[in-house]
Amino acid sequence: MARESFDKEIQFLRMLVLTSGAYSRQQFADRLGISIHTFDKTIRKLKAVVSAVHERLPAEQGKEFAETLRYSYYESADPLLLFLYRAKSVKETESYRLTLIVAELESRPLTALELLDLCCAGLPEELALPDEKTIRSDLKYLEEAGVIVRVGTARPYRYRLYTELLTALSDEELIDLYDFVDVMANTQVPSVQGYLLRDSLKKAIRRQGKELAEPFLYKYHYYSRILDEAHLNLLLQAIAARRTISFLYFSPKAGKSYGSQNTNPLFARESEGKEARVLPLRVVYDHQYGRWYLLAHSAKQRVAKFRLEGMTQIEEGDPVEEADFAAKLALLDLRTQQSWLVDTGYPVTVRARFYNPEEASRNFIKDRVRLQGQWGVITEEDATSFVYEITVNGMTEIKPWLRSFGSSCEVLAPKRLREEFIAEWKEIQRYYESVREDV
Amino acid sequence: MNLFEKMFNYQVMAKLGESGTVALTRHERAWLKSMLTHPAAESALAPETREKLVAILADEPDAGYLGGLQEKARSVERQVHHPLLRPLRRIIAAKKGMRITYTLRNGSVQRNVRGFPYKLEYSMVKREWYVLWMHLRRRAWMATKLSNIMLVEYSAMSEEAAEANLARISTVLADRKNQLTLAVVPAYNRELSRILYALSCFEKEVEYDELSDTYQIQLEFSGDDSDYVLSKIRFLGMRVIIVEGAYHQRRMYESATKALVRYGVTDDADSQPSDPAEVSETAGEKDAG
Repeated sequence: MARESFDKEIQFLRMLVLTSGAYSRQQFADRLGISIHTFDKTIRKLKAVVSAVHERLPAEQGKEFAETLRYSYYESADPLLLFLYRAKSVKETESYRLTLIVAELESRPLTALELLDLCCAGLPEELALPDEKTIRSDLKYLEEAGVIVRVGTARPYRYRLYTELLTALSDEELIDLYDFVDVMANTQVPSVQGYLLRDSLKKAIRRQGKELAEPFLYKYHYYSRILDEAHLNLLLQAIAARRTISFLYFSPKAGKSYGSQNTNPLFARESEGKEARVLPLRVVYDHQYGRWYLLAHSAKQRVAKFRLEGMTQIEEGDPVEEADFAAKLALLDLRTQQSWLVDTGYPVTVRARFYNPEEASRNFIKDRVRLQGQWGVITEEDATSFVYEITVNGMTEIKPWLRSFGSSCEVLAPKRLREEFIAEWKEIQRYYESVREDV
Repeated sequence: MNLFEKMFNYQVMAKLGESGTVALTRHERAWLKSMLTHPAAESALAPETREKLVAILADEPDAGYLGGLQEKARSVERQVHHPLLRPLRRIIAAKKGMRITYTLRNGSVQRNVRGFPYKLEYSMVKREWYVLWMHLRRRAWMATKLSNIMLVEYSAMSEEAAEANLARISTVLADRKNQLTLAVVPAYNRELSRILYALSCFEKEVEYDELSDTYQIQLEFSGDDSDYVLSKIRFLGMRVIIVEGAYHQRRMYESATKALVRYGVTDDADSQPSDPAEVSETAGEKDAG
């Protein structure tokens, strides 16, 4: 069976989540380069998964799917987009068989033949009966997935369910573990495996007839990062194995051939994708926008950058020599050492004066600079302000951060950046000229 | 190691749910093993629990492959877990009251205050935990940093009183809901993806007008987070303009005007700004009274 990559579903969901219902069916389909028919089919499939996973979701007739996805993120403890990882297609007979095998193995260790008998007796009548080969391949899959383990070495092999993680802990410990997993899945990357574990722990706690309170809230998350994690494991493994990869890339960069269209490049048509073959070196998560990047070495560029959301049909290739990989990684680290995010432009020293808040009991400006200012340092300080200095590759990536401080930040150098800030604040002031009378 | 496992399939999950069986995969165990090496594990789990887990996971592969992962522009990770999460989550789960002793921003101490804890909230920006609670005597809505709490103890509360408090809290939260509407400046339409990513942390609704090729984004947020929302809008610079929300429009005008004063650009002396708290950021310090 062909490996499901979910590229279409991920693109589809990302667009739904980011644009939150902006487009009609036709506009949506146009932007993804699919037919209305495919659009409707995909929606139907995703809806089925969502409603099976989240029973509490509003089920009103005619409720738009996009609306379902807008469902209160902050107040809901369950990350809605996780359902993507529950969408792998499984034949109905297989889903019955796997469930039956797992459930039987929970009570006692069994052999393949014993399981065959139990399956033949326990499966719904309308389903085709399995043969021994099928059961053996199911067991092989479950063993590889780490769901079951072999007991002892005597033949015929017996298998049992592998859930020590749940059975070895007391009820109170299980709640502590649940909380730990919840906190880590929500505050660290990668998170998807953690969210899946959280679901399992929740089931284990509720199975004991206990109510499980969900007292934690997190603000603010970039929810779509869960979608981009779909390819993360594949890339990290390729890096660990020093393997090249090939993929079809849709550059989300502005301009290019879509300049005159309404089309958002992020959701460009397949025909506009580009074949790429690279040696992956690092995956970078950007906390500023909640976006993922792949940094790699390619024949054309010594440091090639790709956004994970534009990568589809990823395939692993051949491995390279360790020394070759190490040399390329060292070069990359050298080039990105001073990147605010991933810029590899010329280093420039940025100096900015930050003004302490007036009449506040706490210097929240300085707190924030210390918290978010990466490797920059405070070089001078007086009663009302302090000077922050940092050397970064290019000015583009740090600029939004400096600007977010508003009038509490004055760029001192370089001169060009200072001038850009003056021009931008003039323009922004002009945007709101009409409200000045009220000030 | 593909995350799309047949075991995670929704039909399989649903059927396992019916039989009450819980199955775990190596994906989940490998992730947990790597997370147990984080310092937060020490505060979140009792030593015996941690030892048990480490022993169970000993044979799982190390998450060495995570070495290829790098994070950029992250806030310094001051705090991921806090020891008070354990007792507080239990009080919240039981819907009981608490007696809390904590320091205010000015350093003064509030002792033995009766409160009703509602939720524990983590700020991804400040990387700190807060308890959101109701001050019972003052009937005030509070958010207190866990690091400012000196002592917290369980205190009895009847089920009726707890329900009444929860009802009051939902009214308070609804009252605090705030919204504004942004328009994407058409010259920046091609940066729509960047703009939407930056705003993807808020509850939002996007409208697209095909005729004029314009996008409008309505954001909904708690009033306590106005300053944080404004910092995001300044972050985006000229790409977006607030088209609805008079208060936030005024704040943006003040920001720009005051910034220009900093740069010595004062072609209009009448528009001196006056708001000192301009860049204060996000919620959580309302406990100053």
